[in-house]
Amino acid sequence: MRIDRTHRAWLIASLIIFGVATAIYVVYAASSPAGPSGGSAIGLAFGIAGSLCMIFAGLLAARKKVPVWRLGRAQTWMRGHLWLGLLSLPLILFHGEFRFGGPLTSVLMVLLIVVVVSGIFGAALQHYMPPVMTTRIPMETIFEQIDRVRAQLLAEADEMVESACGPLNFQDTATATIATTDTLPLCNFYRRDVRPFLHRSRAQNPALSNRVKAAGIFEGLRTLLPATLHDIVKNLEDICEEERQLRRQTRYHHWLHGWLMLHVPLSLALLLLGCAHAIMALRY
Amino acid sequence: MARAKLTTKKLAQRIDLGYFKHPHPFRRLRFILSVALPVIALLWLGWYALARNDRIYSGGRMSASHAVLSARCSTCHVAQAGAFSARASDQGCDTCHDAPVHHANQMFTPTCAACHTEHRGHPRLAVTADISCTECHANLHTSGAATHFVSDITRFNGGHPEFAALRPGSVDPGTIKLNHAIHLKHNLRGPNGPVQLDCDDCHRTVRPESRWRFGSSDAHDQPVNLNLRAIPPSMDAGRAYMSPVTYAKHCAACHGLQFDPRFQEGAPHDTPEVIRAFLVQKFQQYIPGHPAELRVTDLNRNLPQQPIPSAVRVLTEQQWVMLRVAESEELLYRKTCAQCHALLFVANAPWPIVAKSDITQRWFQHAVFNHDTHKLLKCVECHSGALTSQETADVLLPGIQTCEKCHRGGREAAESRCFECHTYHDWNREKGVKGSFPLSASSRDN
Repeated sequence: MRIDRTHRAWLIASLIIFGVATAIYVVYAASSPAGPSGGSAIGLAFGIAGSLCMIFAGLLAARKKVPVWRLGRAQTWMRGHLWLGLLSLPLILFHGEFRFGGPLTSVLMVLLIVVVVSGIFGAALQHYMPPVMTTRIPMETIFEQIDRVRAQLLAEADEMVESACGPLNFQDTATATIATTDTLPLCNFYRRDVRPFLHRSRAQNPALSNRVKAAGIFEGLRTLLPATLHDIVKNLEDICEEERQLRRQTRYHHWLHGWLMLHVPLSLALLLLGCAHAIMALRY
Repeated sequence: MARAKLTTKKLAQRIDLGYFKHPHPFRRLRFILSVALPVIALLWLGWYALARNDRIYSGGRMSASHAVLSARCSTCHVAQAGAFSARASDQGCDTCHDAPVHHANQMFTPTCAACHTEHRGHPRLAVTADISCTECHANLHTSGAATHFVSDITRFNGGHPEFAALRPGSVDPGTIKLNHAIHLKHNLRGPNGPVQLDCDDCHRTVRPESRWRFGSSDAHDQPVNLNLRAIPPSMDAGRAYMSPVTYAKHCAACHGLQFDPRFQEGAPHDTPEVIRAFLVQKFQQYIPGHPAELRVTDLNRNLPQQPIPSAVRVLTEQQWVMLRVAESEELLYRKTCAQCHALLFVANAPWPIVAKSDITQRWFQHAVFNHDTHKLLKCVECHSGALTSQETADVLLPGIQTCEKCHRGGREAAESRCFECHTYHDWNREKGVKGSFPLSASSRDN
């Protein structure tokens, strides 16, 4: 989600709440003989407000499970998730008097900080990366289908090269057809460089991984081949470009969604431990 | 053979339309983590619950003095029968501590935790915030008669009145005539030649190794007899306060109490009754060995131009003793004792009335001061008046501005909060606490 003008109302509301909470905390801290306490009425109020913000932020996941329910627009939920989740950090810091406290509260505070920071990081990525992806990955596909598309690209490339060079039998090179003199450079280049590059997603090929270097290599290959094979070279070049984009998409996707590996599980743990903290705070 | 153009339709045909039915490993991993982490959190809580250990719910580290109780939550958090709540209350504190009330006329009594906040790490619990004091003392009201204390104290720097002993009209109530300026002069006549007295020769805190330079050989430090109000039990009053000035420790070597040339020994520094008995005994012991001295020659000075005839009398031993005692007392009370003591001669009284010395042992009756922690300073840095003081009535305490030179607040200055000098509890009223904790107190028991 891009953070644009549509967030203005949420931003202003969050700033007002933050300002009011800060003012209350400053006055309260200055007037408390023993310093602020999370167990006092004001301290508890901060804790409850912060917890409610966290619970609302956590409900986004539940909301996504029932997209057809008429519970407000998904964008509104996401904005609430962003801003109230962010607001929960200062409110909980006020509740905890900027101390980590004991074992459980320390864990809670660390979890909250990691969750909020990872959320900010994720929000920044979600804001900046989609336009970058649109520009740099015009061949973008569904992330889960990348491996399938790559397999199709490999099959397409194999088919094209075999149409020119004859059956290459990549599994058993001993039985492979010996290419003619005209097609030999294409055959060798494909077998040595292109196919491993397409076959294994982690295969490192500094030349083919770089668009400019790859263009130079393919240009050199054309000079070794008759003009009738130049179309195949062009197609291979396109397939390599698509492979590069899919690799880039995979990389970007890991950035774009990798933070959720931290954010979501830790959020759930935070809510669970937060409940335990609230119950035991009633006791002690 | 040109490659077919990748239209939207062709791109769509690449996709397995049922792909969402099989979660990608990326999503699967996220799901696994989303289940695993809360489960780990539950196991963590469960582990402590099974071990009946609530320490993980602690609000923070215990103070240094209570650290030994970190594993015994129930010592302070006493659960009432049938109640879930086990909040710490004053009752828990009173089990071990007898913290006397501050003042009988205070408007309210705060809870222990209002000033001494636990679970905040290792700082001393006695380190309380100024607001704990200024909550009342910034605008002091009492439940009884109007207070005679300053009623608008807000802080030490700039919000605290001058010390009571230095306010206009205050004098040193002591009656011993002491001229500090003379005693600090160069080449003062000492018992074995000229000396230069130092403050330390008369004013020291009580230390076991103390040897007084100008005291008598049998002078020993005596316990400091102080009004213990406002002195916390943790404070070593002996090291904090100056040893009381006494004749035996500080004056005897120079100011001897010789009473008669027949004796090297001086009179005891004691009451007139004791001195009288001492003198009588001394002369009674002396005269049997010197019977010739019973012959007393009276000189007739009525005819100054004539040779002086002498009349010889023979006294009884009793008469001789009484005569010598009278002469010795005259010397002592008119000269030797009067040099330092204020004596009141009453007609027909056997001896003068000696005014009580009334040397102030502790000037700050409502605050504590620790000389030991200030020992790195030169005495005259604070007590500069001692160099020029000639009168006993001079109060040589430093003013509040002297204290503020160091105790001015801020990170690079000495402590200036109220607790540094004042204690809330009236430790004079402290009752004893009977210890009840076994050595195994640090073991886990919730």
